[in-house]
Amino acid sequence: MNSRYSLTTRLTAFFTVASAFVLVGLGSLVAISIDRHFVELDRDALRDKIHLTREVMGKATSPQDLKTRLDDVLHSHEGLFVNVLRGQESLYSTPDFQFPGNMVELTLRARLGVASWQTQKHAYRGMAQSVSMPDASEMPLQIWVALDIAHHKHFMYSLIQALVAYVALATLVAGALGWWAAKNGLAPLRTMRTRAMAITAQRLDERIPSHAFPIEMADLATTLNEMLRRLKEEFDRLSEFSSDLAHELRTPINNLMTQTQVTLSQARTTAEYQDILASNAEEYQRLARMVADMLFLAKADHGLILPSTERIAVHDEASALFEFYEALAEEKQVHLRLSGEGDVCGDRLMLRRALSNLLSNAIRYTPPGEQIAVEIQGDVHGTTVNVINQGPSIDAQLLPRLFDRFFRADKSRKQLDSDGAGLGLSITQAIVHAHRGRISVSSISGTTCFSMYFPSTKIVGKLPTTDA
Amino acid sequence: MKILIVEDEIKTGEYLRQGFREAGFNADLVRTGVDGLHMAQEGDHDLIILDVMLPGMDGWQVLKSLRRNGQEMPVLFLTAKDHVDDRIKGLELGADDYLVKPFSFAELLARVRTILRRGRNGTEVTVLQVADLELDLLRRRIIRSGKRIDLTAKEFGLLELLMRRQGEILPRSLIASQVWGMNFDSDSNVVEVAMRRLRAKIDDAYDTKLIQTVRGMGYVLEAPEV
Repeated sequence: MNSRYSLTTRLTAFFTVASAFVLVGLGSLVAISIDRHFVELDRDALRDKIHLTREVMGKATSPQDLKTRLDDVLHSHEGLFVNVLRGQESLYSTPDFQFPGNMVELTLRARLGVASWQTQKHAYRGMAQSVSMPDASEMPLQIWVALDIAHHKHFMYSLIQALVAYVALATLVAGALGWWAAKNGLAPLRTMRTRAMAITAQRLDERIPSHAFPIEMADLATTLNEMLRRLKEEFDRLSEFSSDLAHELRTPINNLMTQTQVTLSQARTTAEYQDILASNAEEYQRLARMVADMLFLAKADHGLILPSTERIAVHDEASALFEFYEALAEEKQVHLRLSGEGDVCGDRLMLRRALSNLLSNAIRYTPPGEQIAVEIQGDVHGTTVNVINQGPSIDAQLLPRLFDRFFRADKSRKQLDSDGAGLGLSITQAIVHAHRGRISVSSISGTTCFSMYFPSTKIVGKLPTTDA
Repeated sequence: MKILIVEDEIKTGEYLRQGFREAGFNADLVRTGVDGLHMAQEGDHDLIILDVMLPGMDGWQVLKSLRRNGQEMPVLFLTAKDHVDDRIKGLELGADDYLVKPFSFAELLARVRTILRRGRNGTEVTVLQVADLELDLLRRRIIRSGKRIDLTAKEFGLLELLMRRQGEILPRSLIASQVWGMNFDSDSNVVEVAMRRLRAKIDDAYDTKLIQTVRGMGYVLEAPEV
């Protein structure tokens, strides 16, 4: 059946065909049984008549006497026809009645020993039997008897008519019932459809009440709700990201525009022009960098950042980064400490970038005199890299949002330095996910710990990086 | 040095040509891939800056045709798209470098100079000198005005880079990548701090400052004009 037919149509059709099949079967069985019963009745009647004829013959003294006697007897049996033969010679036959010539053969071949035949107007059942008379020694006699079964035929005809009509009607009724049942049974589907139609991008918090549906569909409703929840989360994140993006771009563009236009409004000295252009260049670089970071994240979202896989000793990478950050840390009077060993199977540059972002972050928020520790723990299953710094605790409520794009724990701190676009942690997270790893953060009583875990399994092909 | 710029974006092309001319290059500009290919085959350019998205014949095709004709001059790709596949494709086709828009001109200039410098280290210098500053690569020693200056390993590397490329404006990203191997947008404060410390040792005690900050672009080490 074509999958484009509606469920109601399919169920109705199925129900109709099934009912028709059952009803036709039942009707046929009834008709056949009754017909067979009639045949049996006729057989008994025919045997009876043969027996009667034989008895009469036994009492007959001459052929003339036989005829008289049989005429007498058969007179009262309407629709009964008898033919008595000795060889080819007919001793007696009912007047105006013609038996089929091959009566003996018909009888032998017939079901239940009852032969049937039809003339133009009538239908008959008959029987042929050989009888040996005790006194007549020469040739055996044959008695043929036949009954007009017009009344049976008539009955059967009416019966079959009635049956066919009934079957047809019952099938129609069954189909209608099936349609009704399917329609009612599938009503929850339509309800679900109506519910689903109410869900739009603006109303993603609409839910399908799973308890209002039959068990089979409650599961589906729950699954759909789960899907909606995920969609809503992603959607919210995306809308927030877009509005953040617009906001993040608006500020520097506004600065650039104002600055440039104010500068152009009157003649300046060369030094002033140079100063403005340099300031613009810095602002442009910040914008370019933000765009590059966002593109990196967009690619990560689509699983397009393909980490090359080589075995990397995390300790070496951290050491290289320590060398890089050494001067900055000293300037800020922050101590860097590195401990532990561990390997990660992944992309050297990306790994370095992930760790670099964490370190840069840690240096920014660690007060002078405190220390930042990078602890590496590697075993057969994977490697954990913890970046731990002392400093003001982060509000527990803000922790899960720390990896969100453009999120800054301190909203008032606006771009004091060029790296404060708020994308660093998102990038770190994207990189960790691209390596099938996990990243988490905790911040308790002045100690903040970012923990990256990289499983030691090989990375194959493109990876989705959006799952949390 | 003769450079061919193939860029269809009018403003970008004009500014690139101006920038390279002012940086002392002989720069030609064409706007289509077909013209670019023609020009590259006629002229004797030392390097081609090739935009990927060009009308008619794109950057890939131009590069392919060039290489097929046996033209081996270095090619630096500029592109607005940054797909890993693109990068790999470009490098497979024989591009020498790859820069994603928006890029800073200082970065482009520095990379072009890096490419052009390749393969011409005929005379290996052992001592770099700018004004009264001397850097001895073999003895790992720095002397300014006859006085020895002690530097850390990374500071030495930083100074070496600045001196090797004296007179060139080096953007922070290039410095981070060349000195520390940070080939990504890293914390640019680090370069600032490192540079400040280097200056404290090299310049602070002297009247003539050799290291200059070029705002919005980067740093340059050069002997001041007399």
